[in-house]
Amino acid sequence: MNTFLILLPLVLTMLYSLVSVPVLVWMERRIAALIQDRLGPNRCHIKGIRLGGIIQSVADMMKLVFKEEISPSHIKNKFYYLVAPSIAFMSAFLTFMVIPYADNITINEKIYHMQALPTDLGVLWFLAFAGLGVYGIIIGGWASHNKYAILGSMRATAQVIGYEVAMGLSLVSMLITYGTISLNEMVTYQSQSFSMIPAWGIVLQPIATIIFIVTAFAETNRAPFDAAEGESEIVAGYHTEYGAMKFGLFFVAEYIAMAASGALIVTIFLGGYQLPYLSTTDLINHFELVLWLIIAFTVVSSLIFLKWMRKHNIFAMKGLNETKVYTTIIIVFTIFAIIVMSYYALGFGHAGAVGVMILQFAIFTVKLFFLHFVFIWVRWTLPRFRYDQTQKLGWNILLPLSLINIFITAIVVVGVNYGN
Amino acid sequence: MENEIVFSVLAVVAVVSAIVMISAHRPIDSALSFIVTLISVAALFGLVNATFLFVVQIIIYAGAILTLILFIIMFLNIKDENLPEEKYKNRWLLVTSILILPFSVILINLILGSDIAVNSVINENLGTIKDVGLTLFSQWILPFELVSILLLVALVGSVTLSKRKD
Repeated sequence: MNTFLILLPLVLTMLYSLVSVPVLVWMERRIAALIQDRLGPNRCHIKGIRLGGIIQSVADMMKLVFKEEISPSHIKNKFYYLVAPSIAFMSAFLTFMVIPYADNITINEKIYHMQALPTDLGVLWFLAFAGLGVYGIIIGGWASHNKYAILGSMRATAQVIGYEVAMGLSLVSMLITYGTISLNEMVTYQSQSFSMIPAWGIVLQPIATIIFIVTAFAETNRAPFDAAEGESEIVAGYHTEYGAMKFGLFFVAEYIAMAASGALIVTIFLGGYQLPYLSTTDLINHFELVLWLIIAFTVVSSLIFLKWMRKHNIFAMKGLNETKVYTTIIIVFTIFAIIVMSYYALGFGHAGAVGVMILQFAIFTVKLFFLHFVFIWVRWTLPRFRYDQTQKLGWNILLPLSLINIFITAIVVVGVNYGN
Repeated sequence: MENEIVFSVLAVVAVVSAIVMISAHRPIDSALSFIVTLISVAALFGLVNATFLFVVQIIIYAGAILTLILFIIMFLNIKDENLPEEKYKNRWLLVTSILILPFSVILINLILGSDIAVNSVINENLGTIKDVGLTLFSQWILPFELVSILLLVALVGSVTLSKRKD
């Protein structure tokens, strides 16, 4: 139990970053298809099981892994060329380490942290490694010895330098509000509520929220700020000369960076793993009631999903009958979950702390995937900014705005504390 | 024991990459090995529990300043044939290192006599964010403000210089 609870946040970090990449690629394509009024990839299957198209991204990953490794003959600095994708990947992965997935859990009077790296640095750690990520792009672009690649990496560098300032300043105003840099304490702060409104970061600091989300898009080089790989101007930008898994690492790094900034936005601005109005102690004290509510929710949602699936899953495939397989799995799984949950809800066993922890993981996951949806939604809705517009937005609008925001926040916080 | 092993590895990496930085021919090699030096020094800060210094070293030096330097190196796009020849470089390095030797003996003696060398961690709070903040804003408030005014002057100066029309 001891080792398990210490390893659990590390395993979760892998799940939320590496393992979720195929799911994110699938989401990206299906949501793009939804927005452009088409179907997206949904034919790839293993013995007739398509999982809504996720098999397609698994096939794509396999293709990248088994593709022949080619390095162009004009590249003189092989070492820099090869090390660049791994720098991008590693720093994106390291940013994930400080995100709290659930509240600290006390079992047998020992406290376990649900962060992969239980440090108080929190936000600063994220800023440090998000800033290092750009080295992968710089070195990759430089080592490629290609005009498009150098142009792409220079664009990326200038953009990251400009937006990192605004990002740091918008975080400073959040630090002043919460009075701490530890991410877990920030989430605990957000479990309070002022009369009827939950004290989430987005309510307390709407301007800082907007600035942070915009700069997070720019930091991860995602549309509408992906001028670094603007295919209409500079082919593919910094990864023009990369193929096979070397490109794959850049590709995965972009998604992990997106997931990490999404997780940070959830933690700082959207209440992290908390439900509004309910703190961790409330949840543990009324665990039976919470479980009954979850059971009701499970029954209703799985029935609705079953009906929806049976109506829409009509594409005939060879092999197994997909609709039948899914129906069986959903019914069996729902019944199993209900039996397990009612065992605890009727008071036969005591699993309050662990149960609440699992519930908080689920809440965090739902919020995180909502943020992923927003990232993808924006990508397929807004056109790419022209490069000078990107710079102007960063330096002329976001930077002064975040400075003013810090000023106002500081005045308000000092005023409130002065009254007490 | 583990601390000593980690320390020696980091120290060797820091020193070697610093030597590479001053002896490398191409500016990009120097810049990249300087990043390695900075990160290993940051890790040394982490080893003595100075977490805030660790993270600030990475954010400011490795994250921001070196990014700017690399950006400028890429912007100039220096070709290998345009670099100076540096015929007597190794001889110069040798002479300067002999000249510096007495000073480094003094420096090493000074460091060996300091608190950190005697007992590896002086107190738990050294270099954490609260400790650094309290020290800066109570004990060293005047120098801190003077330095920030200096930085502001440099900032305004660079902006006016770059905006000047000839």
